[in-house]
Amino acid sequence: MTLNLCILTPNRILWDSEVKEIILSTNSRKIGVFSNHAPIAATIDIGILRIRLNDQWLTMALMGGFAKIDNNEITILVNDAEKGSDIDPQEAHQALEIAEANLRKAEGKRQTIEANLALRQARTRVEAINAIS
Amino acid sequence: MALAALRREGRRFAPMISPRPITALRSSPLAPSLEDEGPIGVRYISTQVVRNRMKSVKNIQKITKAMKMVAASKLRAIQTKAENSRGLWQPFTALLGDLPSADVKKNVVVTISSDKGLCGGINSTSVKISKGLHKLNSGPEKETKYVILGEKAKAQLIRDSKKDIELIITELQKNPLNYTQVSVLADEILKNVEYDALRIVFNKFHSVVSFVPTVSTVLSPEIVEREAESGGKLGDLDSYEVEGGETKGEILQNLAEFQFSCVMFNAVLENACSEQGARMSAMDSSSRNAGDMLDRLTLTYNRTRQASITTELIEIISGASALEG
Repeated sequence: MTLNLCILTPNRILWDSEVKEIILSTNSRKIGVFSNHAPIAATIDIGILRIRLNDQWLTMALMGGFAKIDNNEITILVNDAEKGSDIDPQEAHQALEIAEANLRKAEGKRQTIEANLALRQARTRVEAINAIS
Repeated sequence: MALAALRREGRRFAPMISPRPITALRSSPLAPSLEDEGPIGVRYISTQVVRNRMKSVKNIQKITKAMKMVAASKLRAIQTKAENSRGLWQPFTALLGDLPSADVKKNVVVTISSDKGLCGGINSTSVKISKGLHKLNSGPEKETKYVILGEKAKAQLIRDSKKDIELIITELQKNPLNYTQVSVLADEILKNVEYDALRIVFNKFHSVVSFVPTVSTVLSPEIVEREAESGGKLGDLDSYEVEGGETKGEILQNLAEFQFSCVMFNAVLENACSEQGARMSAMDSSSRNAGDMLDRLTLTYNRTRQASITTELIEIISGASALEG
């Protein structure tokens, strides 16, 4: 049974083809999805999505959203997503450092929250690169 | 001999000295004070006036042609974005359904319109539909409020529905549209407005010549629960196991908010495309009208010119013949 994965962001469709298995990190835990999974509606946190196509694992960085799984169709709607292979390692590391620096400098609740968010996003991107290599 | 020459000349110019009055000029829209009574009872207009008119019409034609090209290039830029955003709200509709017929107490109509004018009738249709929804959903227990995006709808709705307007947002397209901006907007709306159902009215962009006014409905989580319990389309919702750590209610709330911002994003983009497309066709018909007007004015101008040459000739000839005879 083939599992069809569809990853959508507000700006474009990132992925629309068949996969063998995915590992999704939701707000509470990581779940692995094979074909014929029970129907699920889940919220996705800022984290990595791992996709397996025929013994090859791919990583994607997701920036929060929702996932719907039913009838061998996985639909993932996220605010932003990037393929691990598309992320430039140096640029991601730099972004991480800048985010950490911003967090240290942040004053006030709102800036702290924003800085935290940016940090988590930067961390996810760096993780996505590391996970492949 | 001079007479013979004059006769020859007279024959050559005879066809122009027609006693038939130039009736077309009577229906000319120019002021009657500029018309003269010629010797044959012919009324004609000064060529200067016609020339001025032609110049201004030509300028207008150039401007509308330029506006059409600008609208076409803007349309190209925004069309790809709109098409890419279409895929985003479809899963929501598949999961939560789009139920325009849901009967709720607090309706909020979000009208999306343009800031600038000269874009055909799209804003009027949006406002008409919003007013229709308002009428449909007002009653003893139900109430409808407006949230307005865009100057044009604001101008039209503020006249007669001022007390029903909750929020007005303008200058949406100052910066290029992106999801972050629209999600902040959606957040504001959700925070400040109490709602059971949000009905977003916009013009969906089907093609460069067809813009269909559409209504997308986003229901609040409580109503979604209620509809799910009563079965029907949303009945399958309960069959989904919900992951994510929080309670089902909280997840549905998040989902509804996300749905609203996605649908808004798509609606705003589609409306922007429709605006540019409508402006293109409006400017195109303007240019064509200006071209027609220019043709008519050119004919008038030539006739006027020929008439004035004719009268001059008549004067010369009659003067000369008076001297002779």
